[in-house]
Amino acid sequence: MSDWYYMNVVLIQTTLTTLLLALSIQVPLRFGVFSFAGVGAFGIGGYGGAMAMVHLEWSTWPAVAVGALAAAVVVSLLGLVVQRLTGLYMGMATIAFTLIISVLAVNGGDATGGAGGLYGALGEINMQQIVLVVVAVVAVLVWTEARGLGRRIDTVREDPELANALGIDVNRYRLMSFALSGLIGGLAGAITTLLRSTITPAEVNFHLVIVALTAIVVGGARSWLGALIGAVIFVWLPTWLSFVQEWEKVAYGFIVAAAAIYLPNGVLGVAKDALHRYRTREERARVAVLQEKS
Amino acid sequence: MQDLLNAATLGSIYLLFALGMALVWGTIGILNFAHGATFMFSAFVGHMVSRETELPFLGVIVIAVLTGAVISSLTMLLAFQPILKRSKNQHAAEMRILIGGIGVAAIPLALAQRETRSSPFGFKSSYKPEVFEVLGLRITTTSAIIIVTGLVMGIGLTLWLRRSRQGLALRAIGVDAETAAGMGVNRTALAFGTMAVAGALAGLAGALLTFQLGAIAPETGDQLVIKAFAVIVLGGLGSMAGTVIGAYVLAGAETFVVSMNWGTWVDAVSFGLIFLILLARPQGLLGRKEVRRT
Repeated sequence: MSDWYYMNVVLIQTTLTTLLLALSIQVPLRFGVFSFAGVGAFGIGGYGGAMAMVHLEWSTWPAVAVGALAAAVVVSLLGLVVQRLTGLYMGMATIAFTLIISVLAVNGGDATGGAGGLYGALGEINMQQIVLVVVAVVAVLVWTEARGLGRRIDTVREDPELANALGIDVNRYRLMSFALSGLIGGLAGAITTLLRSTITPAEVNFHLVIVALTAIVVGGARSWLGALIGAVIFVWLPTWLSFVQEWEKVAYGFIVAAAAIYLPNGVLGVAKDALHRYRTREERARVAVLQEKS
Repeated sequence: MQDLLNAATLGSIYLLFALGMALVWGTIGILNFAHGATFMFSAFVGHMVSRETELPFLGVIVIAVLTGAVISSLTMLLAFQPILKRSKNQHAAEMRILIGGIGVAAIPLALAQRETRSSPFGFKSSYKPEVFEVLGLRITTTSAIIIVTGLVMGIGLTLWLRRSRQGLALRAIGVDAETAAGMGVNRTALAFGTMAVAGALAGLAGALLTFQLGAIAPETGDQLVIKAFAVIVLGGLGSMAGTVIGAYVLAGAETFVVSMNWGTWVDAVSFGLIFLILLARPQGLLGRKEVRRT
């Protein structure tokens, strides 16, 4: 077990940071907000953390906190600005926001290191700390998925008019999703950057959107568990199947397209459906037995 | 003045590219994210063929146009059609189509990147552009062809959509698909035709841009999708005349930014434009205000 652990430390770390990135896009989706701002938050968090470490010589965790908070604030402001938009318009506006972050990083001069990126921000982060952060984030998300709050969020997503009529402040919920998404995306960016010690503008690009989206679409968009399944699949798939490595990006494309067509609720959705069907059958069998007895 | 000419050339490329996207989105309601990949891959097929044998100018154009039409129809057949069939409502379909399009777009991009190792590719053609002077302006035959083609296609498509019976049928689908089908409009056939025309336009734009620049990178397509989105939003969804104006406005603004020596900010123009328009006038310059219940 411990041998396996030491051989795969990097992969485990990547799984956890990918999970955070995927969650940052999944949270707004669960609120019915089609926002990709989480990837922009990844960039802000990464640059924020790296700049705090390189220029201000802060220690690791204050730098991460600053990056994540900056991302949360910026994305919340973005939410205030774009909250009128819906559907595709929201999606494209937030993609534009994400790409603007990368243009800003290219033009940042010494502060962001320009097109070459920022180097030498090696933080001291160990596995326990990452796990702790992820567990904290997941705990918050479990709270938003459970009971009354979970049902209110489902209503905001599925039927905003109904939610309004029930006295749910739809706009406040949507803004909350932006803040959460920014915070989680910022954490993902800051931790990833300080683990690798570098960040470049080219990293905050469209490919990152695809990675995050793939994880959610394949895993399942309705629960943090789906994002975890997706992150595990996409980080470990190349190591399990060597031919995938060579055709990795082609395979990504096929899988995303196929999932969009055939599995709108992802692997988790399929599993839940199967479980539901199994339970129904059990229940029917039990009822049938009872009826026979009486 | 020379800048104005450059802006006109660039604008015509944007126009040829955006026309296809605007046509598909404005009528059958599909925001095709794979349009950029279609554009790039058409030029790429032209490159592959011209590597084997030297082709005349028109030969390359024909190959690219046909490839574009085929890719676009295949995307419709294999991805969008099944999604539309399986989606319960318009909103869910929109999102799945966007995600499916992102997935489809990743496939040709990855194939081309693999083949070219992400370096730019061009055509080996017997065509040699000539430079001539009109009113003290230097203009190449390529940019003259581009400007004329762009204007002809833009105005032609606008008139066709306004005057012809098929144009009327297409616009009817855009307003209310079910009623249009009840009036005897063959939705499926028109949808395929529209996608094929859009793909052909993308192929045309791809071949022309490659001739103009000498070579394009595989990633060019994705950037153009965002720019075309800016163009469509600027002009107003569903208005072809708006798309024509939008393309030249965006090209003019970008050329201005470049001529002021702010070259690294040029990508921010389109992203910023998306923001401004969506906030100030969401229906675009020439669009009609949509009445929606919320």
